[in-house]
Amino acid sequence: MTIDKFRSKFIEEASDNINDLENALLILEKDSTNKELIERVFRVMHSLKGGGAMFGFTVLSEFTHNLETLYDQIREGSRVLNRDILNITFESADHMKILLSDENLTSAENKKNHEDLFSRIAKFIQNKTNFQPDKSDIKQNVSDSKLKSYYVYFEPNHDIFANGTNPLYLLDEINSLGNSKTFAHFNKVPPLDTFDFHKCYIYWEVILATESDINSISDVFIFVEDQCKLEINEIANEDLTINKNFIENVAILALERKDVGIVEINKLVKKYGSSEQAIEKIEKNKESEPIKVSAKENTISSIRVSSDKLDHMMNLVSELVTTQARLLLYAEKSNNPELNTIVENMQKLSRQIRDNAFDIVLIPIETMLTRFQRLVRDLSHELKKNVVFEAIGAETELDKTIIETLTDPILHILRNCLDHGIELPEVRKKLGKPEQGKIILKSFYSGTNVLIQIIDDGAGINADKIRKKAIQKGMITENTVLSNTEIYDLIFLPGFTTAENVTDVSGRGVGMDVVKRKINELRGDVIIDSAINKGTTLTIKVPLTLSIIDGLLVSIDKDFYIIPLSVVNKIYVIVHEYIADKFNNLIVLDGKQYPFFSLRKELDYNSENPLNERVILVTYEDGMVGLVVDEVIGEYQAVLKSLGKLYKNQEIISGATILGDGTVSLVLDSNKMIKKFSKKIELTNKI
Amino acid sequence: MNIDSLSQINSYLSFKLGDDEFAAHVSKVLNILEMINITPVPRSPEYMKGVVNLRGTVLPIIDTRIKFGMTPTEYTQNTCIVVMDILMDNDTIQLGALVDSVVSVIEIENEQIQPPPSLGSKYKSEFILGVAKIEEHFIMILDMDKVFSSDELIMVMESTDEA
Repeated sequence: MTIDKFRSKFIEEASDNINDLENALLILEKDSTNKELIERVFRVMHSLKGGGAMFGFTVLSEFTHNLETLYDQIREGSRVLNRDILNITFESADHMKILLSDENLTSAENKKNHEDLFSRIAKFIQNKTNFQPDKSDIKQNVSDSKLKSYYVYFEPNHDIFANGTNPLYLLDEINSLGNSKTFAHFNKVPPLDTFDFHKCYIYWEVILATESDINSISDVFIFVEDQCKLEINEIANEDLTINKNFIENVAILALERKDVGIVEINKLVKKYGSSEQAIEKIEKNKESEPIKVSAKENTISSIRVSSDKLDHMMNLVSELVTTQARLLLYAEKSNNPELNTIVENMQKLSRQIRDNAFDIVLIPIETMLTRFQRLVRDLSHELKKNVVFEAIGAETELDKTIIETLTDPILHILRNCLDHGIELPEVRKKLGKPEQGKIILKSFYSGTNVLIQIIDDGAGINADKIRKKAIQKGMITENTVLSNTEIYDLIFLPGFTTAENVTDVSGRGVGMDVVKRKINELRGDVIIDSAINKGTTLTIKVPLTLSIIDGLLVSIDKDFYIIPLSVVNKIYVIVHEYIADKFNNLIVLDGKQYPFFSLRKELDYNSENPLNERVILVTYEDGMVGLVVDEVIGEYQAVLKSLGKLYKNQEIISGATILGDGTVSLVLDSNKMIKKFSKKIELTNKI
Repeated sequence: MNIDSLSQINSYLSFKLGDDEFAAHVSKVLNILEMINITPVPRSPEYMKGVVNLRGTVLPIIDTRIKFGMTPTEYTQNTCIVVMDILMDNDTIQLGALVDSVVSVIEIENEQIQPPPSLGSKYKSEFILGVAKIEEHFIMILDMDKVFSSDELIMVMESTDEA
């Protein structure tokens, strides 16, 4: 993410903050003693100051600094919030909006207004008397910051008519760019006897106020460039055409002289183009349209919607998809071609709506970053460790529920990294590592999953230590043979901790089991990989979204099951006889050996096998495993529904979905299922 | 009507499991469904029959007979699914209870309800709120929350010839 994106995000947040501020101020006007609201105003000032400084809005940051001081005094009770303070705060709120769009105060008027407000607020803080603002200070921040005034001098050559150009059209075009005042000069028109009506003797001067830049103005004259004298000058950062004094004086000069000229115009701009103009404008605005009154709002590129509404929408979309499946089934049976066409279109639309709706509820991982950064900063300080935190791929998007659920587990993992992982600077030095430890939060897509890795370059996990601890705690016996991965898995068991000192940070042995459970609830998984003194990598794998998966619909006996399509590789037809007598649970497909499980057997179906069965090769850990089912029906979009609390112990099933005909089908969690089945085998092998 | 005013009502839904008649307070009962196709959930306890689709949500079905230590329900024309709200660990969950037949909705005044016999009953008294004698036969009023949130079977004595 570039700094520009951060800046636009800050502007978005700051706009929200200012809105919030205005709301608070409005209530404070009625109830000026409301502590909570004063606190809120203070907080807004504070976050604008901090954020402003961070994202390069220095002027804004400085500006809010004084206001923050002011509200700090109010909050502490050393000052009473009165109407004058409220007024100036309102004015400031408006001014802040301008600062967001014109941060460097390029417009003279904004600059003046800024200085004025600034000094008034400073006065408030210095002398504790209540300052009465001058009449002339009232709301000056009315200028539309993007409007600029230009002086255009346009003198067509005498023979301009010859190529069919009508200069008046060009002037019309200029006028359409914005507000303008046009002055025509006739002093070059010859006496009637020498007058040639095929020639143009008139020339013009235009004062134009527009948002367009100088190029778009000169573009108007693009076809007559070499047939005229053209001069375009920017003269002010404000709309001079509504400045009565200025325009009148230009008009007088235009009458007196043959042409006014840029020099004179500039003089007039200096003379009339400042504060008086603003007052003029207020007067004018009273009777005319309020278009230019408000500071130009930053174009809203996103809106905030309450999550309830989103949840509701998601539910409706899920229902829609289910109903769509029913409709499709019905249409297929009906053999009505017209109905089928309609249903196909519906299918396309509902698919798009579904994808769109899912996209809406996806939010980037960076939304939780601030909390992580704060934690690392504060905690490393507390633990006297030198740690830098880095986020890679924070733009990776995830379902908002997943992000919400993941925040706490990741916070806990980070705490562990800081506490147990990263060593003290002295220790690191001895080990020949840089004194500054590093924690990386890396996120990326992998198929329909998102992987989030928390990588530290700390001490790593000592597998032997864990093993001993587990034996000591009676979790495993001396003879249990475990791979490193299995040993690391022990950390996730309830009540397990190896930290010698229990700190208030971590080490109480609560937590890692909760981390695992939370991630499992999201149909996710967590894997640890570690090397002593090199560091630890903890990988969290979660599905992109929770509520719909693309699945493969299969049948066993009379029941339907769904296997996530993301793990399915290949499907083979196989004669039952061929696998019936395999005791080693290995099958050869395309010349390769794969372990397999007959779901019919594993899921306790007792009815007779069909002659031909299907083997579905699914990805499991690093390899592939065959799952034997009766039939493969086809692809199916499953709207996942929870099986509810009663089936919470049912690990191998991640949920249920309702098929087109209304029956319920179960969605298998192939990873957990195979894990469970294979454990049983190991066990039987050992016995 | 809120729960409070509902619990003031003295109406009970009575149903049969085998020859015994039981009753549940109407505030617990949401719906009575005819028997529909149940999707079994593999590798779950025997009394958990599976799930059905109740207007778009997945409803777990419990074989009340097994829970009460009887033989599994044999599906007949009278077999019904009673959809109930059950309070379980401070959460209200919905489940469907298979019963052999639904008898009726009856009014039982509080005075008619006697405390459950602590001795000699086939059923654990903690699951029974009381016993009411209606027209010469006894109806056991069940504490549905306890019945369905407990993992154990309800019967204390060996089942003999219930079915």
